[in-house]
Amino acid sequence: MTPPTDKPKLLGQCERWLIPVLILAFCGATYWVSTTFKKMPPILKRGIQPSDFPQLLLLLLVFLTLLMVWKDPVRVRDRLMGSTVGTIALFAGFAALTSIDFFLALGVFATVLSLFWGERRVPVLVLVGLLVPAAIFFTFDQVFEIRFPRGLLTSIWYG
Amino acid sequence: MDALIHGLVSLFDLHLLLLIFCATIGGVIIGALPGLNATTGAALLLPFTLTMEPVPAIATMTAIYCSATFAGAITAILINTPGTAASATTCLDGYPLAQQGQAGRALGMAVVASTFGGIFSVICLMLAAPLLARAAYHFSPPEYFALTLFGLSMLASIGDGSAIKNLIAGVFGILVAMIGVDNLTTVERFTFGSYHLYEGIGFVPVMIGVFGISELLVQSERLHLSREVIRMKSVELPGARDYRDSWRAILRSSGIGTFIGILPAEGATVASMIGYNEAKRWSRNPKLFGKGAIEGVAGSEAANNAATGGAMVPTLALGIPGSATAAVILAGLMVHGLQPGPNMFTEQADFAYAIFWSMMLVNLLFFVVGLRGARIFARVTLIPVEVLWPVVFVFSIVGAYALDQSMFDVWVALVSGVIGYFMRRYGFSVVPLAIGLILGGMLEQRLGQSMVMLDEKWWLMFTRPLTLLFLVLTALALFGPATWGRLAKRRAPLDSTGE
Repeated sequence: MTPPTDKPKLLGQCERWLIPVLILAFCGATYWVSTTFKKMPPILKRGIQPSDFPQLLLLLLVFLTLLMVWKDPVRVRDRLMGSTVGTIALFAGFAALTSIDFFLALGVFATVLSLFWGERRVPVLVLVGLLVPAAIFFTFDQVFEIRFPRGLLTSIWYG
Repeated sequence: MDALIHGLVSLFDLHLLLLIFCATIGGVIIGALPGLNATTGAALLLPFTLTMEPVPAIATMTAIYCSATFAGAITAILINTPGTAASATTCLDGYPLAQQGQAGRALGMAVVASTFGGIFSVICLMLAAPLLARAAYHFSPPEYFALTLFGLSMLASIGDGSAIKNLIAGVFGILVAMIGVDNLTTVERFTFGSYHLYEGIGFVPVMIGVFGISELLVQSERLHLSREVIRMKSVELPGARDYRDSWRAILRSSGIGTFIGILPAEGATVASMIGYNEAKRWSRNPKLFGKGAIEGVAGSEAANNAATGGAMVPTLALGIPGSATAAVILAGLMVHGLQPGPNMFTEQADFAYAIFWSMMLVNLLFFVVGLRGARIFARVTLIPVEVLWPVVFVFSIVGAYALDQSMFDVWVALVSGVIGYFMRRYGFSVVPLAIGLILGGMLEQRLGQSMVMLDEKWWLMFTRPLTLLFLVLTALALFGPATWGRLAKRRAPLDSTGE
């Protein structure tokens, strides 16, 4: 893996402004959603309307975000590393595989992550990708009586 | 008094004792592994306690809390990498001692100071928590609202991040708690028609995500780092001279740690920093600090372990977490159907005292485990990240699923993990998010009850002495540090010119 390198100035500036803009956009969208909440008649509102508290929080969030831009802007330490981006991409792969089988997805993800992070010893990969998920699966099944969602492999066990 | 004895008697169960012993060893391993800490350990363990009775479940989590907080010292001393953030100050003198061939002596002092600090704080917990609960028994919704607000305002000063970013994370956490059906009016909020969101976002998957999965992503940035472990023969008990040099620091730090722990949201990390600084300030040899002062190890370790008992005081007596790990334990109490707060000491007093005694036992256990097994536990630091973290991922995902046997919770954990990683990347702590999520619903409910009680005249809150006190404390927590910092800056040039 390559060590982190210095960030180009332009990208740093972008991220510095991108975060507050994202938060403010989130606040705007969420505030709009909160205006669609049902209003309760005075007798049933129990002190405050359902939208009051979230709206108060959103206004506070806007104030804090503006204060952050002024007083304590976001500083980016270094470039987002390839290993991190790859790991997040593997999460997406894991999510896709769960539609086939949860147990299989866990095993494949653990093996691929270990490989991706640099492990090359086959016995270790078997331990990480097969023995650990299997041990957890059987512990849950036998001790906690918790069933994994049915899939290609788990259905064989559950019958 | 009866509850005190009943609590102790309930511990005399072979199954429970074995569980506490295993959790203590597990906690030491978790604390010794760089990247894993008491909070992540407790969050990962929580789903596995679901089939247990409340006492074994919470005792297991507190065992992880106490022993992992101590075990951070092992890696701090041997590889100059704190196993937990609370042990960062232990590196300053522990590692230089190890480089001088005195790793065993430093670890011995860490074990003794941690045990003393832990036991001291549990005794304070036994005395203070019921008193605090008795005082809180008379609180009305406005007092509770102001107290919860005070607890949240303390989030501003946690961790090493900025106060503003901590508050943003805290408010975001409270907003997440608004998802689902409003408890007061039964109106759906932010559900977007999804039945998964009807009951809101669960604490446990979010905690697994922000503490476990986000740490996995942080570790993915550090694959190029290598560690050098300093070898040692055995852990030694400190000698008479070490005790003579350090007893004041241990005693002082135990008091500091317990007090800091009691403050809502402030945990072992802040306690160890203050404990270490005070040990240095009052030392006869302050110049030795940073070069291998045994007092430095004692001051830091007594304070961080004392904070564990302290943090449980507001958690159990008021339902306001005293630290990030206490927030996970609070979530555990709620998952097990227990309601922390003043009623706990009247309706579930046996349970509360059983937890106190189990914490006392854990502190004694890790004294033995630490002295006998530190050499072995030090070897777990050699587990490569490419083996450890895929296994942690499997545990995290299965844990998230197990709570409600819901794949939706798995997605929540994954998304929370990615959000948590980016928050950390841009300088936002994830601890306020977790605490905000836990306290958010409570805060809104108490505001609503206060408004009903005060006939919607919110300004009447300022006429209630206790409410006013908590609101003033909230203002001090929010604006005090900045104001004092500005005043200190103004005074500094005057002092330097002698005017």
